Amino acid sequence: MDEYDELFEIQDDFEDQYADELDALAQMEAEKSSKPLIRHNGATGDDISDIEHLLDDQPMTPKAKRQKQDTGVAKRLFDGSQIQQSKVLSQNDDITPPSSPEQYEPRQAVRYASARSASALLDISGFAAIPETPRRPHTTALASLHVLKRPPLEGDYISVTDSAGCRVYLRQKEDTGTKRVDSRIVPNAQGGLGLLAVPIGVLREQEAERHHQQVVEESQRLTELLTRSVNDVLVDAENTEEEEHEDPEDTEGRRSRLWVDRFSPHHYTELLSDDFTNRCLLKWLKLWDTVVFGRERRSRPARTERQAPNQNSFKPNQGNQNQNRFKSKVEVTEELLEAELDQYKRPKFKVALLSGPPGLGKTTLAHVIAKHAGYNVVEINASDDRSAEVFQKRIDTATQMKSVLGANERPNCLIIDEIDGAPAAAINILLAVLNRKDGHGGEAGPEGTKKKKKKEPILLRPIICICNDLYVPALRPLRQQAFLLTFPQTQPSRLTQRLAEISLQQGLKVDTGTLMSLCEKTDNDIRSCINTLQFLHGRGHKQLDTKTIQSVSVGQKDQHKGLFHLWQEIFQLPRIKRKRIGEGFEELVGSGSGAQRFQHILHLASSSGEYEKVSQGLYDNYLSMRVRDPNLQSVCEALDWLSFSDRLNQVIMHGQNFTLMKYLPFLAITFHFLFAHTHVPRISYPHSHHEATSRLVSSRNALSTMLVDIPASIRTRISQLSLTLDILTLLLDIICPKLRPVNPQLFSSREKEQMRELINTMLAYNLSYRQDRTPEGQYTYVLEPRVEDVVKFAGLPPRRQLTYQAKQTISREMEQEKMRRAEQLMLQRNPAVKAEEKKSSGPKPTRNHQQRLENIVKQTTVETRPEVDFFGRAVAPKPQTPQPSSETGEKCAVQAMGTAVGNSDVWFRFNEGMSNAVRRNVYIRELL
Amino acid sequence: MSLWVDKYRPSSLGKLDYHKDQAAQLKNLVQCGDFPHLLVYGPSGAGKKTRIMCLLRELYGAGVEKLRIEHQTVVAPSKKKIEINTIASNYHLEVNASDAGNQDRVVIQELIKTVAQSQQIQSSTQREFKVVLLTEVDRLTKDAQHALRRTMEKYMGTCRLILCSTSTSKVIGPIRSRCLAIRVPLPSTEEVCSVLTSVCKKEGLLLPPELAKQISDKAGRNLRKALLMCEACRVQQYPFSVDQNVPETDWEVYLRETANAIVSQQSPQRLMEVRARLYELLTHCIPPDIIMKGLVQELLSNCDGQLKTEVAHMAAYYEHRLQLGSKAIYHLEAFTAKFMAIYKKFMEDGLDAMMF
Repeated sequence: MDEYDELFEIQDDFEDQYADELDALAQMEAEKSSKPLIRHNGATGDDISDIEHLLDDQPMTPKAKRQKQDTGVAKRLFDGSQIQQSKVLSQNDDITPPSSPEQYEPRQAVRYASARSASALLDISGFAAIPETPRRPHTTALASLHVLKRPPLEGDYISVTDSAGCRVYLRQKEDTGTKRVDSRIVPNAQGGLGLLAVPIGVLREQEAERHHQQVVEESQRLTELLTRSVNDVLVDAENTEEEEHEDPEDTEGRRSRLWVDRFSPHHYTELLSDDFTNRCLLKWLKLWDTVVFGRERRSRPARTERQAPNQNSFKPNQGNQNQNRFKSKVEVTEELLEAELDQYKRPKFKVALLSGPPGLGKTTLAHVIAKHAGYNVVEINASDDRSAEVFQKRIDTATQMKSVLGANERPNCLIIDEIDGAPAAAINILLAVLNRKDGHGGEAGPEGTKKKKKKEPILLRPIICICNDLYVPALRPLRQQAFLLTFPQTQPSRLTQRLAEISLQQGLKVDTGTLMSLCEKTDNDIRSCINTLQFLHGRGHKQLDTKTIQSVSVGQKDQHKGLFHLWQEIFQLPRIKRKRIGEGFEELVGSGSGAQRFQHILHLASSSGEYEKVSQGLYDNYLSMRVRDPNLQSVCEALDWLSFSDRLNQVIMHGQNFTLMKYLPFLAITFHFLFAHTHVPRISYPHSHHEATSRLVSSRNALSTMLVDIPASIRTRISQLSLTLDILTLLLDIICPKLRPVNPQLFSSREKEQMRELINTMLAYNLSYRQDRTPEGQYTYVLEPRVEDVVKFAGLPPRRQLTYQAKQTISREMEQEKMRRAEQLMLQRNPAVKAEEKKSSGPKPTRNHQQRLENIVKQTTVETRPEVDFFGRAVAPKPQTPQPSSETGEKCAVQAMGTAVGNSDVWFRFNEGMSNAVRRNVYIRELL
Repeated sequence: MSLWVDKYRPSSLGKLDYHKDQAAQLKNLVQCGDFPHLLVYGPSGAGKKTRIMCLLRELYGAGVEKLRIEHQTVVAPSKKKIEINTIASNYHLEVNASDAGNQDRVVIQELIKTVAQSQQIQSSTQREFKVVLLTEVDRLTKDAQHALRRTMEKYMGTCRLILCSTSTSKVIGPIRSRCLAIRVPLPSTEEVCSVLTSVCKKEGLLLPPELAKQISDKAGRNLRKALLMCEACRVQQYPFSVDQNVPETDWEVYLRETANAIVSQQSPQRLMEVRARLYELLTHCIPPDIIMKGLVQELLSNCDGQLKTEVAHMAAYYEHRLQLGSKAIYHLEAFTAKFMAIYKKFMEDGLDAMMF
């Protein structure tokens, strides 16, 4: 609540930025104040109509309509000092959410307040503006602005008497400036209009007092009840009172002996977390109202319409306009929230994803806000079984069903806590639920609004997911579909304030400085702070000071600072001015700081856990530190330590000797003492090892690719090692002979021999040239596999390279040689087939084309047959006759043709549209 | 098969060019029909593998040269499948178990068992045992070596092991004691020269003896390297000239430059540069111990005699750590930094002494 005090000085900004909340608070106040009116001031018809209007007009968002609910009397005190009012109001704990569908109980509020035995309790039903904080040490400074102990010298005032009999006076002026919706009815606080027999102020006072008495009685009864119980913990009336009215689960929380649970916030205004985050989440949840509660969300045009006639009636728009001044990130979030609803009137993002380190109150926020918005909270967390089927069932249960019995007849809001630990399958199921399309078409729309969609698969309930690490791989798909909210650090001032309240209530004497140091020690982890307090309290400490806080080792959780932070701490000397937990203030300057630094670094290093990464980072960065080390002594020592930790690692990993791991963080300490400097170190992320490993792997791969296809006779003589050490470099030299740039046909016999050897070598060592195209569009031949990179070192004079033409020649020759060898191999493998083929093709012309040819030949000979017959020769012996010469040239030609066609290897047949006209088995050896 | 190294490799014990008495002993060993497990060790390029193959040929005849590559899959107890390439003939099986990395124990157990459990089919015409040739035994893990102990004894009836490694220091004692150790030393310079000359003669080339000597020196008497260098020289320029530039392997040149960089300046910045170069060497698949060795040789040749013992001592110290650890770069850099510190101190002391 400190914040409000701080903001008191900058009222304008305050109003601009927190307009939404102010409105919400104001509205709560108005509601609260108006309800007693309904019950007891039934005669004031106008008032009632106004109130009814107010109740009908259930606001959709926390941007409440303050002026709208300005019901005369209740409003009067707001006039002119709205900001202060709302500030004061914000300190009121018992405000109920503006638009909560749960029934508001005014009695509670009144009782609540009065039970505090406050000094200056006022008639809340009427004026509600007394700055009374039920739980907090109230800020009398603020209160005194309005509440006076004696009648003011000038101007009107109201006198109020509380249960204790104290009378205070409320200044009542500044009444004139603002709109007066119904000033005609109630012109002043004394009810001077005289419509009622008894002035309304009096009625209200009476009513309030009646309430008050009831509450006091009730609380007394409960206090007695409690004092009788075994519980000896200091429990004030407020707690007992709240127990009654909270949900059963909360009651459990209250009863539990952990302060964390006992003092956990139950209202929106009690939240310690960042206001902007709270507001965003609340807004997002409100977006669901249309579909969940069936209330129309005021669309933007509608709002402007209503704003037009009544300039100052709607704060929300003002809020939005003012927020344009916010940072861009904030604006983006706002825009997300302002986005239109989808076809089912759901918000664009169906799920909110809260992320942040532990102990900031994420779970609490989700619960409080969901309850605030009128939901029944269903939580799934890591303690539940989150296997796919169970998860599916639970999501369906939570989003599509509704409890019909019991008190919590409210729609469910599903909170999935610790989602970063959930298996990817479960998250996929969640995504599937989010992306479900409505199977039943138009039916779902109207049904949904009536909350009747029992069997509709479409998601109609808000889901809030909570995680610590937003960047877990499993969450990646969810991140894109979720409304992301990152929790900033809790403000230490607010946390300190709350801690002070708690310790005050528990009778623990502690000053702010101590609490501040506690906050710092725990990194503003609320849970850890309260637990530490309780722990110390439980040990009998009634008075705490900074020394105690620093000496106890509790509350210092494993800090999960980033690696860069750790490296920076190691390489940087602590600044004198900086006070750090774990180091005494006075000791810093003195000589004892060595031990403190030692402890500090040890703590940091051992809590980081990633020793491997840490030492790699140290290794990569230590040489660039600005440390005077002329003799390289510290470098040597550092390297000795590095090699020691390497050996240690080896022992740990090989022997599973994990007890030795405790010695690993000492490496960081050594580096700190050797290289720490006052300058801010420039630290780069250690890539070297990773790079080296990946390059080594790629080299190895190239080598093994080469080795795989080397023929066995050579493979047995070489190993990977000898290849890299001896062979490869020289081999690459050997396969680059000087070739004349001429056609290989023109080579001399010696050159041909050289070429043949070259190709043999390359084939034997599984090397080849592959044509490749550079990005510039030029063609090059590259050696495949890419072993050139394995033996080539940067900075050395480049080896002789063959020209493109030479490589091309070699490549072509190699292809030919490969074909030749393949053919030889085939011949060797099945020589029988080949021989048979040869035989069968010779004497037995049974093959297809030959049969066909014979037919053709026969046909051609048929025509000549009569002539042959005529010459007295038989038909059959004709082929056997060797060259029937001395006949007519005509016949000879025909026969010659026939035999030529029948016996030749080469033949062709004309086929229309076919290209396989010529078919013949041709061997490479015949062509080359 | 056209590299000279492959083309002119002797294929029988009788044709070996050097260590002839050892060849004769091996021949005797085989001729008596049986032999114990062998552990053949010696530096790279000395001819270990050649000798083993000659031995096998002597044992089984020419059939042993019909090699085939087999891709075998071994299933580890953790159901993990390990793929490994073996080279086999009908009579022997060659495995480089260290290819399987940490799972080499499983490979050893499974492969040798399958080979050893099956009898030779025609024992009348052949030997009664098969041979399993394990290469790079010094890179086997301790687990695998222990797994080998019992296997060696158990399957003595059907199988002989020939282990091949560069050094025995990483072979555990029990295995060493079960094997007949055969050391194959590097050929002397003269032997290298004579081999080179004879090869060139067969190729119809004339090799000047000076160049042969130069090649032999540059290759460090590593015969494989010498032959490759000789052939590279031939490709580079023929006819040979005496003062020809003999091509070297790039990594050696790079390592030498690194050593020069260390000697020329000693500062954290220089150490940073050296680190980049060391990383470069490591990523080119050069084993860290070879880097260390090369570095020490170069540095020793560059520094003063007084420092040599200290540097050698430091080298031994850091190489020991290198073998124990897993991140080679730390230890290499530690050695470099230490050398820089020693060297710098020495130089400054020297300067001071000059001043006064």
